[in-house]
Amino acid sequence: MKTQRTDINTQREPDGVNAPAITVRDVVRSFPDGEGGRIRAVDGVSLSFDRGEVTAILGPNGAGKTTLIDMILGLNHPESGSIEVFGTTPKRAAQGGRVGALLQTGGLLPDLTVKETVQIIAALHKDHLPVAEVMETAGITGIASRTVGKCSGGQQQRLRFALAMLPKPEIIILDEPTAGMDVAARHEFWDRMAETAATGTTILFATHYLEEAEQFARRTVLMHSGSVIADGPTEQVRQQAGAAHVTVTWAACSAEINQLPHVIDHEVRGSTITFRTDDADALARHLLTQTEAHGITVRPASLEEAFMQLTSHAATADRGAATAETEGVTR
Amino acid sequence: MSLTTYILMDFWRNLRNFANSFFIIVLPGVLFLIFGVSTDWNEFPLPTGHGNVSAYTLVGIAVYGAATATTSLAGAAAVELQQGWGRQLALTAMPHSVFIMAKSIIALAMAILPVVVINLVGLFTVTEMDTGRWFATATLTVVASLPFALYGLLAGLAFRSDAAVGAASGVLVILGFMGNNFFPLEGILLEIGRFTPMYGVTALARYPITEGDLLTTGEGTIGTDPLWMILLNILVWSAVFAAGCYLLRGRATARR
Repeated sequence: MKTQRTDINTQREPDGVNAPAITVRDVVRSFPDGEGGRIRAVDGVSLSFDRGEVTAILGPNGAGKTTLIDMILGLNHPESGSIEVFGTTPKRAAQGGRVGALLQTGGLLPDLTVKETVQIIAALHKDHLPVAEVMETAGITGIASRTVGKCSGGQQQRLRFALAMLPKPEIIILDEPTAGMDVAARHEFWDRMAETAATGTTILFATHYLEEAEQFARRTVLMHSGSVIADGPTEQVRQQAGAAHVTVTWAACSAEINQLPHVIDHEVRGSTITFRTDDADALARHLLTQTEAHGITVRPASLEEAFMQLTSHAATADRGAATAETEGVTR
Repeated sequence: MSLTTYILMDFWRNLRNFANSFFIIVLPGVLFLIFGVSTDWNEFPLPTGHGNVSAYTLVGIAVYGAATATTSLAGAAAVELQQGWGRQLALTAMPHSVFIMAKSIIALAMAILPVVVINLVGLFTVTEMDTGRWFATATLTVVASLPFALYGLLAGLAFRSDAAVGAASGVLVILGFMGNNFFPLEGILLEIGRFTPMYGVTALARYPITEGDLLTTGEGTIGTDPLWMILLNILVWSAVFAAGCYLLRGRATARR
């Protein structure tokens, strides 16, 4: 598998090894909101994804993840801005089989069998891996003659994975790939993806599940209301949100606690106090040098907490911007 | 890329769908055996002398079968696209225009099936026509099914569900009744029927053997439809269906 992939890459790399796989520039896309106005689903997003990178796009429903992914796949077009995939248009890259996608629920014909589905899509690609090989990789050989309508959510998702792998893609894009899977199926799915990532395939996935981003992606892009609110190494995004927990042993009165810098809130449990802070270093330095506190532990917050904090910031900023706009109009 | 594989596999998928093949092939076949073969008046010659009453019934029922085929296949194609399969196909090397072409071939093949089956049944039982008229009516029967592809497409685009497309095919039984397909209408029903969508195409497919003459359940004819009237019916209804599809065209590619 690995040697094969190298072959493909050398064959298909006229656009330079260092060129990013995907470049998104100032992309805007809006939809009618049903009341005569338009909602900006993607609002001025610029991103670039390198070859071999594994990136999570994280955000709540309506953040613009699927709209962005649709545009990268050429299923939808930006109103303004541009998207390049391997130096060409998203549509050409997808039709050339350089991009494999695992789409959200739907997208399968219930009255075809699993094997027929792979065969019929394989027939439409210019160049594809052998059907039997892909089915083996995706773990669907055992259910080959089952009708798609009778497959479980996890089995259908494995079939979609097989379809995504068919054209030997250099990028795999997954839109909420584990939605509707149970824990075991999810675990198995990510094991399979880890094998794919190990072959050097660029992977971009949208997810609701924060732990998936945390465990699987080296880079995380946080989206909210159509904008990117954080982007960087998953670890750093978590720190950027500032949320960390500092626990100390300290018999302090509430006046002392209120004077501490960078504290978001705190919890007293017996002789220990846990602070939630947006600057763990400064708070720790202060606690150790200016107070009696001792026995300090610092724990970074989970991505979920980071996410809550960042989105609430963004929401506040949004409200501010909206107010400013309204004022602008009235004036 | 192997388009032939895609067309053959998709054709087979539609053919083995029981609801599809029952309403497209089995039901029209049985209807023809009941109305066009087993009754004694079928052996009477037509007033024009170009064949017998069985031939008249044969064309009417074959038009109904072929129209059911194009309605359900075009409708199903629209629903398929909107339910996400279109997104899957958009990620292959097949352009959208080729998809439409492939689906047209499949729908046409499905429409030809009942025409062939019913004509063969007629050939080996009581139907009488001369060879030229036999081929002419069969060809016009397939042509008659084309406006119903637009009708099915319209149902698929408007309601986006397989159930709606099934209902649209079901409505064809009523349209077939009003279109003079199953047995000769008279009086007020005929007056109304003239303005329904299946009337024109059926009259056109029968034209080689009736020359526009209208049959009754009794003796002789009750009038003649001029060719221009038949063509006008086809033209108007095709335009109505096409306009509807045009208005809803954005839906096929929009996200759910």
